Amino acid sequence: MTIHHPNRPIALAAATVICGWFVAGAVHAAAQTKSESLTGVERLEGDWVRVDSSGSGDFGGLTSKFTPASLTPSGAAAMAEGARAAAVARGPAFAENTRHDRGQPYIVVSRPCGAGPFGGGVLGTNPDSGAIHFVVSKDAIVLAPERGGARRIYMDGRKHPDLRTWTPTGSGHSVGRIENGELVAETVGIVPGVVTAGGWRTPETHLTERFVVSPDAKHLTIKYRWDDPLIYQKPHEYQYEFDRLPEGSYALEYWCDASDPEEQQSVTPLQ
Amino acid sequence: MGRRAAVILALAALSSAGAGAQQPAASSRDISGFWALTADGKKVPDARLLPRVTRAMLDLHKRRDVHALRWCNPVGVPLMMDSGTPIEIRQGPTSIIVLNENSLVPRYMYLNRKHVSADIYDPSTIGDSVATWDGETLVVDTVGFHPTHGVTSIPGGGFRTDKTHLTERYRLLKNGEVLSVVFTWTDPTVFAAPHTYEFRYRRLPPAYEPLNEWPCDPYDETRANFLGDPAPFGK
Repeated sequence: MTIHHPNRPIALAAATVICGWFVAGAVHAAAQTKSESLTGVERLEGDWVRVDSSGSGDFGGLTSKFTPASLTPSGAAAMAEGARAAAVARGPAFAENTRHDRGQPYIVVSRPCGAGPFGGGVLGTNPDSGAIHFVVSKDAIVLAPERGGARRIYMDGRKHPDLRTWTPTGSGHSVGRIENGELVAETVGIVPGVVTAGGWRTPETHLTERFVVSPDAKHLTIKYRWDDPLIYQKPHEYQYEFDRLPEGSYALEYWCDASDPEEQQSVTPLQ
Repeated sequence: MGRRAAVILALAALSSAGAGAQQPAASSRDISGFWALTADGKKVPDARLLPRVTRAMLDLHKRRDVHALRWCNPVGVPLMMDSGTPIEIRQGPTSIIVLNENSLVPRYMYLNRKHVSADIYDPSTIGDSVATWDGETLVVDTVGFHPTHGVTSIPGGGFRTDKTHLTERYRLLKNGEVLSVVFTWTDPTVFAAPHTYEFRYRRLPPAYEPLNEWPCDPYDETRANFLGDPAPFGK
């Protein structure tokens, strides 16, 4: 899934910029614990940014190379109905996508900064171009996408809640374990929505992620596997690649003021 | 800033209010957990403000605060440390994150490193926080606040600016069941003396499940009418 947002290029640029900034900044961070000195799952700690590992030009091009999901008939129907319902719910949030004269300004997003799409830590299960920050504590691992929200992976042995009493969230309910020094997270209870490469999910859909950090702790692969016999003919699998940001990087604050008219307008794209 | 004064004030507060406090548990250098702040957990004296801080300035910040809440802006520090819902703190080997159930934006504290150069730091509602352990106390030093973004008013009076410096001292009490945080604010343009107050958070059960959605919708007309949005002001 690719999440579109008017500030996406800014986030990507910002991530790129801070990479450059803190190569120099790292000089002043001598006392900080280096990622290389961490062991086991603690090597996830720190700041990561998703990369286009195959030179696709953008994440849309990248995900187009993934093996498409094999949906069951009921899965395809659920996806179509979900997309229709989402369009209704979205209402006027995205005002127009029609052609306009060259140079004619128009409102691209009429309700920016609203309750979504970043609520509930949804970017924690599907990171975009913004950086993502991992904090590895004793009982939980927190994934904090730079553009808002947070996702918890509980490591204290707790079970998933009864989904009949659970209110689905953007990142669902995740519990984790360590296998061969790698974090494996199991998640249910995510709000219905699109999954990367033609997939769909409901709160009952089961997501398994394996977080693989390279030996030099500079690279991270997250392997995703979606299981749901009502939706998928076979497990839907793909993986994302990440690079660690330089030591001394810090989380940029994602600022979006819905009262600012500038947030509603976009530079008119070429038509 | 008056760090020494802050220490003295913090110790005085602890000794007067925490006579029954027990020695922290062995894990006293890990403040991870879910924490609730109740009305009896706040001891906030009035701030001593400089004469230059006029009523009009204070009113302007209050109006900006309402605007920030009405439009669901990130509120930042200090409000996210007392926003009416529990906070979650997770401490890792290089950083600490503070999450608030009703705020989209987390707060980060980086362990054992220096502040980012002011030349390149992008001012924010949470500032640039660096943290070190001083015995059983986590000392968090924050600069780099944005002068107008978020909720800027400070408990007890005054407001934060881009010249504001915040020092916090986190310490577990009562065998880890209580988290004391002593806040000390200094700002040569706002405060006549360091402004210090203490919050005491109660630990919630480990199995606590926080709300994980951001319940703030700037397009909720009922909510917007309730909050209102005061007269325009310069951004």
